[in-house]
Amino acid sequence: MSVRNSLLALIAAQPAHGYGLKSEFESSTAGEWPLNAGQVYTTLSRLERDGLIIPAGDSGSRGEAGELDRRAWEVTAEGREALARWFDTPVENRSPRDEVVIKVLVAIATRQANLRQVLQTQRSATMKRLQEYTRHKIEADPDEQLAWLLLLDAMILRADAEIRWLDLCEQRLKQLDEERGS
Amino acid sequence: MIAEVVTQEPVLQFEGVSRVHGSGPTAVRALGPVSFKIRSGELVAIMGPSGSGKSTLLSLAGALDVPSSGTVRLNGRDLANRNPAELSQLRRRTVGFVFQELNLLPGLTAVENVRLPLELDGHPLGDAHQRALEELSHVGLRDLADRFPDNLSGGEQQRVAIARAFVGPRSLLLADEPTGALDSVTGESVVRLLKKQCALGRTVVIVTHDAAHAGWADRVLYLRDGEIVDETVASTAGAGGIES
Repeated sequence: MSVRNSLLALIAAQPAHGYGLKSEFESSTAGEWPLNAGQVYTTLSRLERDGLIIPAGDSGSRGEAGELDRRAWEVTAEGREALARWFDTPVENRSPRDEVVIKVLVAIATRQANLRQVLQTQRSATMKRLQEYTRHKIEADPDEQLAWLLLLDAMILRADAEIRWLDLCEQRLKQLDEERGS
Repeated sequence: MIAEVVTQEPVLQFEGVSRVHGSGPTAVRALGPVSFKIRSGELVAIMGPSGSGKSTLLSLAGALDVPSSGTVRLNGRDLANRNPAELSQLRRRTVGFVFQELNLLPGLTAVENVRLPLELDGHPLGDAHQRALEELSHVGLRDLADRFPDNLSGGEQQRVAIARAFVGPRSLLLADEPTGALDSVTGESVVRLLKKQCALGRTVVIVTHDAAHAGWADRVLYLRDGEIVDETVASTAGAGGIES
């Protein structure tokens, strides 16, 4: 859904060709979501099928599939409505599933590992990753690389949240041990 | 586990340092034994849960407390067996402190706060004032030198505190949660400033709960129950990074 709506947003901002959309999408998302050409053209075909985009102006003659990349697209009124709905609707139901969370929960449930060691190993790796993101952030130019900078901020804060959660796990377990021991 | 590659004398060195409060069966070990070295130009973050010994470590590093055993060296000088006057002078000339809040004297302007350590150390007022202004320029606050703390934002107050910590010959800053009372963006600007100071050859040790800010450090030491249980080293040094 994100790629479909993102391409729709790029076309709404300015009529565009398939090949231009691919690079614009990649640059606006700091290269984090590389798209292949096939994915772009399939998405464009579906957007057209659903009446959200149409061939732009005089490039409107329908060609063969091989001409898809030479055709410019523009948004329809329905397309603008769909886009507005996407922006107006918060992202919900994010899954808590995550390998780190699952590993820690399973380690607690099964007692098949030294839990403190599992927590420490992960915290150390996550901290190292966070240092790496920060290094990129120090080198980033806020004027020229805003998307990249904001993406790094998101990654840093996720890593920060993971470290806090690992700390919390350790503290809760310690508290439980103390209560049981007393 | 702790890096031992040293190209010059460490600014700060702990050798088997521990701190125990009380004695006998009620003795509580607050720290140690821990050993590590911090070199000139490094930004080192200390993390760990409450009660893990972070603040004790910082107090020992700044000669505000004495170890129960082991040796703390500041610029190669053993802090043991020194009288209070010597320690006080050593602190004034070597180490600066920045805390979470209440760093500045409210009745003094920014520049008066910054020049205070120099005045206490007997510098002529004119010279102290000039150096304080230079230090305020380093933190981008030269224009706010005559403002009182109440008329500075939280981030600006921390910048003044950093300027005061480094004024004169001091080149080691010990900071306890310096971003704890600031919002994310302001906190980041303070850490960025500390990183910049390290690029000038100064050394910073920061205790923080905030992993996003610890991420700016060249090394992160993680304490648990008074011991260093982990150390992460940034893979490639940025500005002011670890010397190879």
